[in-house]
Amino acid sequence: MPWPVYLALKQLFPSGRISFFTIIATAGIMLGVTIMLMVTSVMGGFGYQIGRMIVDTQGDIQITAVTLIDGRKAEQIEKVLAATPEIEAFAPFASGVVMLEYANKPVFPSIQGFSFERMKKVLPLQRFMVAGSLDDMDDDSVILSTILATNLGVDTGDKISVYSPLMMERIKKNEALLPREVRVAGIFKIGHQQLDSSTVLCSLRLMQDLYGLDRRVHGYNVRLKPGANMEEVALKLEQTLPLGTKALTWYETNAEFQAIVAFERNMIFFLMTFIILVAAFSITSSLLMAVVRKTREIGLLGAMGGRARDVALCFCTQGLLLGAAGTGLGLALGFYLLHYRDNIVHLIARLSVGQGTFQKFYQFSELPSHTVTRDVVFIVVFSVIASTLAGLIPAWRAARLKPVEALRSE
Amino acid sequence: MLDAVIKAAGVRKNYLSGDRTLAVLQGVNFSVAAGESVSLRGESGSGKSTLLNILAGLDRPDAGELFWDNEAAHRLSLGQLTARRGRFLGMVFQSYYLIPEIDALANVLMSARILGSVGAPERSRAALLLQRVGLGERGHHLPTHLSGGERQRIAVARALMNRPKLILADEPTGNLDERTGDEVISLLLEVCAEEKTALVLVTHNPAHAKKTARQLLLQNGCFV
Ligand SMILES: Nc1ncnc2c1ncn2[C@@H]1O[C@H](COP(=O)(O)OP(=O)(O)OP(=O)(O)O)[C@@H](O)[C@H]1O
Ligand SMILES: [Mg+2]
Repeated sequence: MPWPVYLALKQLFPSGRISFFTIIATAGIMLGVTIMLMVTSVMGGFGYQIGRMIVDTQGDIQITAVTLIDGRKAEQIEKVLAATPEIEAFAPFASGVVMLEYANKPVFPSIQGFSFERMKKVLPLQRFMVAGSLDDMDDDSVILSTILATNLGVDTGDKISVYSPLMMERIKKNEALLPREVRVAGIFKIGHQQLDSSTVLCSLRLMQDLYGLDRRVHGYNVRLKPGANMEEVALKLEQTLPLGTKALTWYETNAEFQAIVAFERNMIFFLMTFIILVAAFSITSSLLMAVVRKTREIGLLGAMGGRARDVALCFCTQGLLLGAAGTGLGLALGFYLLHYRDNIVHLIARLSVGQGTFQKFYQFSELPSHTVTRDVVFIVVFSVIASTLAGLIPAWRAARLKPVEALRSE
Repeated sequence: MLDAVIKAAGVRKNYLSGDRTLAVLQGVNFSVAAGESVSLRGESGSGKSTLLNILAGLDRPDAGELFWDNEAAHRLSLGQLTARRGRFLGMVFQSYYLIPEIDALANVLMSARILGSVGAPERSRAALLLQRVGLGERGHHLPTHLSGGERQRIAVARALMNRPKLILADEPTGNLDERTGDEVISLLLEVCAEEKTALVLVTHNPAHAKKTARQLLLQNGCFV
């Protein structure tokens, strides 16, 4: 073992014990790493959960066309989709905006029409139902999102009126089309404020009637087999699908939203790095004090033939070792806390506002968490480098000490 | 005198104190033969430590030549001198300067560690030296658990670890009571003789000085 490393170890662990300085400095880095890991994981968890939700409501890939997709084109598309081995299931959809009216109260939700039998294989619709049943669906019924239903004051079985833009068209031609009376067959809840506040689901047939689409559809939702590479499949589909059709991943169709999520995450990540920097600075100040305290010993190392750069290496190594130990412990503590995060959240809830209130106000009972390997690698590299650099300033000071002057400093 | 271990010729050293130059060494000529012991005395501030530092290659003279084993050390940079110092000479100081985090044996071994690896031969030599200075049983004690005299013995063992040709000792008894000081000086002279290591001993104590083969007195920047 080179002597600078030996001496660094001995100064951190004098005669087998752990020095107080080692404990404090390691704890600083450890806490920084723990907090950084937890915050990024929970932030990532929210983003990941929203991503999952988008996939659950529109599939991995959406096929859309510039024009409406008619029977002939639909046949072409379905042939391509069926021939793609990575695709688990797909189903056509038509979407738009309608006006709903109940007891003279109008709302303007977006509406999605699809064949429930086919769409069930693409989207986990059953999972979202909180009242009524998918099996109850026919061409004269709709399913409302939960907040929408609450706002309208309707329950399953109630009748509501649906007005479509087609009626405006007809009025221009001096024809009148009566609103469609439909039955509320069920209520669903996705767990996302915006989606839950104004979405209506209906059968593809009803949607085609409301929009005068005849047999045409707007596009297809596609679900991939687990492990399939979304981007690759989308790219492949782009090439094989008929002209004028696009295959976009859920990420692309929500690019703007994803950009915001990513920005928030990066911002938090950036702010969190300062915690580690502060911890690194505490290492710097402690090591600087050690250099001052050990001035004469450092002079002696020079008198014994130790090179200035090896003296510097000794202090840098201390920074590196503290950083590595702190990072390792920080990751361990971070993953441990993440594993038991729900217990911790529940404990905090119980101790503060009470479990029930907490769930009501914060909309979640379980804290999401999603740890990305890239983030972990970044945290590790960053904190180890920061700690090593923290040792660099004291190291430089130590290396600059001339043995004669150091020894004379009685 | 070809077998001089160390030789200094016309060494001058000035210090600037305020706007006055302080001529500490004014052409010192000095040489030590292999295995010889020499004592240096002089008033406080006469430049004994300054000379020792220059001999050790820790400091540079303003003028003059220095030879280590007939090698022109004054032509080497401080870095090059540092690289050779650990093998060529050992130093003992008034304040011991042991490393507090490691035990006595490890402190002795530190000299070898700085030169390179530490293996079984180094370990047995360190143990032997500790035994020789009368601390064979105390190898695993930390410096803070040892008395001043014991610490200085360890410093002596450490200085001898790499079988240097020369030991430079700067007032090694300055922090010790009279009896302990006498013991340390006797020990130092004995082991240097056994190891055939030359010794330059800076001391204020005439009795200690008398024990060396040659006595020098530094006055007004020159030996008299
Ligand atoms: N770096 C320096 N700058 C200015 N003056 C210095 C410096 N180093 C030493 N001196 C001066 O040089 C002179 C000789 O100092 P030195 O330490 O060599 O004396 P000494 O003979 O060892 O004294 P002592 O017996 O007290 O140890 C002193 O007057 C001291 O003040
Ligand atoms: Mg002195």
